[in-house]
Amino acid sequence: MSQEIESRIRAALRPVAPSEDFSRKLLARVVADRPGRPKPRRLLSASARPLAWWLTASLAACLILAVGVRQHLEQQRVQQSGLEARRQVLEALRMTSQKLNLAYQAVKNQSTSLTDEESGV
Amino acid sequence: MNGGALDLLDDELARARAGERAALAVLVQAHQRAVYSLALRMLGTRDLAEDLTQDVFMQLNGNLTAIESNKHLGFWLRRVTTNRAIDQLRRRSRVQMTSLEDEQAFFSAEDDADPLLQRHLRDLLSDLSPPARAVLLLRYQEDLDPTDIAQMLDMPINTVKSHLKRSLETMREKTLGMQSARCEDSST
Amino acid sequence: MKKCSWPIFLALLAPALAWAAAPNPKLAIPEFAGLAQKATESVTITLDPALLAMAGRFLDGSDPQDAATQEIIKGLRGIYVRSYTFDKDSAYQQTDIDAVRAQLAAPGWNRLVETHSRKTRANVDIYIMIDNNRAIGLALIASEPRQFTIVNIIGAIDLDKLHKLEGQFGVPKLDIDLSKTPTQGAQK
Repeated sequence: MSQEIESRIRAALRPVAPSEDFSRKLLARVVADRPGRPKPRRLLSASARPLAWWLTASLAACLILAVGVRQHLEQQRVQQSGLEARRQVLEALRMTSQKLNLAYQAVKNQSTSLTDEESGV
Repeated sequence: MNGGALDLLDDELARARAGERAALAVLVQAHQRAVYSLALRMLGTRDLAEDLTQDVFMQLNGNLTAIESNKHLGFWLRRVTTNRAIDQLRRRSRVQMTSLEDEQAFFSAEDDADPLLQRHLRDLLSDLSPPARAVLLLRYQEDLDPTDIAQMLDMPINTVKSHLKRSLETMREKTLGMQSARCEDSST
Repeated sequence: MKKCSWPIFLALLAPALAWAAAPNPKLAIPEFAGLAQKATESVTITLDPALLAMAGRFLDGSDPQDAATQEIIKGLRGIYVRSYTFDKDSAYQQTDIDAVRAQLAAPGWNRLVETHSRKTRANVDIYIMIDNNRAIGLALIASEPRQFTIVNIIGAIDLDKLHKLEGQFGVPKLDIDLSKTPTQGAQK
């Protein structure tokens, strides 16, 4: 009785996945976070600020592009790992089935030779 | 796959420790389901679970160098998730378990789902103290041994066993109560 | 006493917890470091719950093989494979595998099939761990003249679904009936 209830509790408590939207945001936040990054100091004087705005805008554009490229590479990497995990699952099941087949053939051959013996072949 | 062992996530962990963000993303993908499920069933609502899940992985980011293997990572994530959830619950007087619209997200929607048992389980979880709740989840959701649970929660092993015993007895009484009600219905 | 009350009565008198003796379908598989060095090919697959969850996300439901695989791994918590191939006969000893075999003598494991083939000189032993009439673990040891393979699958194995893999991976129907005692005799 105890084991039955335990089985049922285990089945009920199988892990659930978060929403896709949350997963996406989680990945983006965790990967973008870089602990210990030093805060930038103010380096420019008042007269150099207009130029600084252009520089800042250009840098921001490059950063956005870089972040986009990085996210793309990260997605590719996640996909690569996921596909590798899939390949391993398929390989594991293929090997299992191969060995199950060995057992099956042995049992089948034994049954065939027993039948032959009984029929006097 | 020739020559030595191939543990995919150990490899990713090594890369993540070396600073590869893509590898970190792989680890988050692989472990988020377990962390989120623990957080959800400890805290009771999706919003709180999502916040805690994010906090745990952000904390991981700063502690990667201390993680030695994927197995250690799994242990670390579960320990941090449950301990942080216990702390949060202790600061609140009573946890609000899920609203009806979130109920479907609380349990996995499998073909063999038992809605009555799920309801009893949800009631049990909300009645349990935070540490007892953590023990139940680590045992039956995460399949940990009582020894591992004791180490993870820094709790004496007899306390772990006692929590499990009482939880199972409560579940048995609830499910037998269900059965008894059915018998009485059928006999009338 | 009502007819329905007896099971309840007996259940309430039953011993409190059996979890301390709960069977564990996960085998402790040795490293086989020495054999790995001698082998011409070695396969080590370690798929824990995190990796299985990840793999599941990348299986394509519209592909028959992937869909069948998704069904199989849905209730699983681990798949572990170790396989070593050598370039000559008898490069490994049966004693190398004995540490694994010894674990299958523990309570909970039931020998499903033990086959010895004079034609292929292959021995295949298949064990199942059953809990409440459901298979919760499978262990397979296949030893051939130049190869040995150990497979350990943990979780809710649905043998019906395994049968349905026939044609996808070439899995044969083994006509396994869980309602009967699963200790089939050896075919020597």
